[in-house]
Amino acid sequence: MSIDVSGLTKTFGDFVALDDVTVSLPTGQLTALLGPSGGGKSTLLRIIAGLDQADTGTVTIEGREATNLPARKRNVGFVFQHYAVFKHMSVAKNVAFGLEIRKRPKDEIEHRVEELLELVHLSQFRDRMPSQLSGGQRQRMALARALAVEPSVLLLDEPFGALDAKVRKELRDWLRRLHDEVHTTTIFVTHDQEEALEVADEIVVINDGRVEQVGSPDTLYDKPANDFVMRFLGETTDLAGQTVRPHDIDVSLSPGVLGSTQGTVTRILRVGFEVRVSVVTEDGSDVLVTMTRTLARNLGVEEGVKVWLTAAKGATSVPVMAAV
Amino acid sequence: MASTASTAVARGNPVLKWVLRLVVVGYLFFLVGWPSGLIVRRTFEGGTQAFSDALNDPDVTHALQLSGTIAIFAVLINLVFGVGMSLLLVRYEFPGKRALSALIDLPLAVSPIVVGLALILVYNPRYGWFGEGLDAHGIQIIFAKPGMIMATTFVALPLVIREVVPVLEDMGDDQEQAATSLGANAWQTFWRITLPGIKWAVVYGVVLSMARSLGEFGAVKVVAGNISGETTTAPVLVQQKYQNFEQQTAYAVSFLLVAAAVVCLIVVALLRPKDHTTSRATATAALQEKP
Repeated sequence: MSIDVSGLTKTFGDFVALDDVTVSLPTGQLTALLGPSGGGKSTLLRIIAGLDQADTGTVTIEGREATNLPARKRNVGFVFQHYAVFKHMSVAKNVAFGLEIRKRPKDEIEHRVEELLELVHLSQFRDRMPSQLSGGQRQRMALARALAVEPSVLLLDEPFGALDAKVRKELRDWLRRLHDEVHTTTIFVTHDQEEALEVADEIVVINDGRVEQVGSPDTLYDKPANDFVMRFLGETTDLAGQTVRPHDIDVSLSPGVLGSTQGTVTRILRVGFEVRVSVVTEDGSDVLVTMTRTLARNLGVEEGVKVWLTAAKGATSVPVMAAV
Repeated sequence: MASTASTAVARGNPVLKWVLRLVVVGYLFFLVGWPSGLIVRRTFEGGTQAFSDALNDPDVTHALQLSGTIAIFAVLINLVFGVGMSLLLVRYEFPGKRALSALIDLPLAVSPIVVGLALILVYNPRYGWFGEGLDAHGIQIIFAKPGMIMATTFVALPLVIREVVPVLEDMGDDQEQAATSLGANAWQTFWRITLPGIKWAVVYGVVLSMARSLGEFGAVKVVAGNISGETTTAPVLVQQKYQNFEQQTAYAVSFLLVAAAVVCLIVVALLRPKDHTTSRATATAALQEKP
């Protein structure tokens, strides 16, 4: 059982938002749709929710054909980037909305709302209006509202995008813990690779309307399918025709290692524990190397010094794409 | 922006502040306050006698009733279609949308007399487009209530829409989408989410339409045909009585029309601030938000 999307294409005028996307999102997991802005990940999420219609392709949710099912019958919970709170309703009324639509008995609704507000730590705010809450609190309320109807899938569209860095970090940890508690299949969209790597069980990298790679955070980081995935998941630099991570380059002050690239240090930048060394190789390309302060000191790396660079043993690397 | 700029100016120069106030108050006084006040004075010049005489005149009571009936129908029609059209204009994309949007402002731009004439051309029982067919089925539009309601509806058409459209745009469709994803159907979404969001714009549009409909003269006069005691509305009656040297009656009816308009505006003013402050608080909270 899972969410299966097959052959999904969606265009807005000339713009191709999704180009023949086929992907299977596992049940009970926290999956991230990761990619740059305008890459189609939000469109994919909205199509799964039924808020947008695909031009072609099918959507199956937990074995149920849902392609032409209206959003209100899909039993999905959706959380919007800008919260989409019901402004004229109290916090408790917001959370109760889905249950009232389903005409559940009053005491059941009350009980469930209580339970959910407890879960999102908003019990003391139950009678407040949304305008009296902070952004983080509003988003937690929106989450409780979405969870109230016991959705088979919880979809979050850049849920923390409108929040400041500190709150975002808190909510990210909290979402992970929440998911470990409720185990609802959860898919969230983000353009923040750190967020995806930290929270998700599974990451789907989407770019230009296509799925670039699907895998666990470790798989994506250690075995990127192509240089786009590698570049998107962290800092990279090009060395001798390979894309590698700047901390995966060994620096030596003597030409000891076979296949090493000779260059000259042009600039050294110290940022906290890290030292960022810019090297210009003999063929004139720039290579970025990062290392710890201690290592830089021990090596004696200074501006103007000649160095020999090699990719560290076992380092993740992909061939540089000519087009990039 | 404008208000902060003007308060800055006023703060800088107390003389200027008083001059500005004087100009504004004087302008309103001579243009609005004084003339309206004179009507009240004239009405009650000889005590309440003239006023109660006017109210006992069957022509007057009939005209007031007619005006009220027509205004209520016109407002109801404009309420339903106004909210519907606003939703159509804001929430849906379709070819010709901009043309429709421009067309909605037409009643504001066209002279009401022309509106009346246009309706006669279409619904006239003798040579109108639909008139003959409708007349054959015993439905009379021109020189009767339906035509008067149509003329009034036409003239007040943009008022609800122009109030509701900006609020709908401002509100966005996030909340409606959220409601849909929570299982609400179109009607539940409209009733529970959209309508509460545009409530005050609707109320304001209705009150404006009401005031406009009660006071409509030109378009109604043309289609009403002035069958005395039957299709004479209050504003038309004011003109008639004034021309027949029954000034006291004319003033009394004028006073009632002014009073109705003022009551409308007071009702809105009393209802609105509560909501206004909360919506402003929401906006400020959103602006200052440090989540």
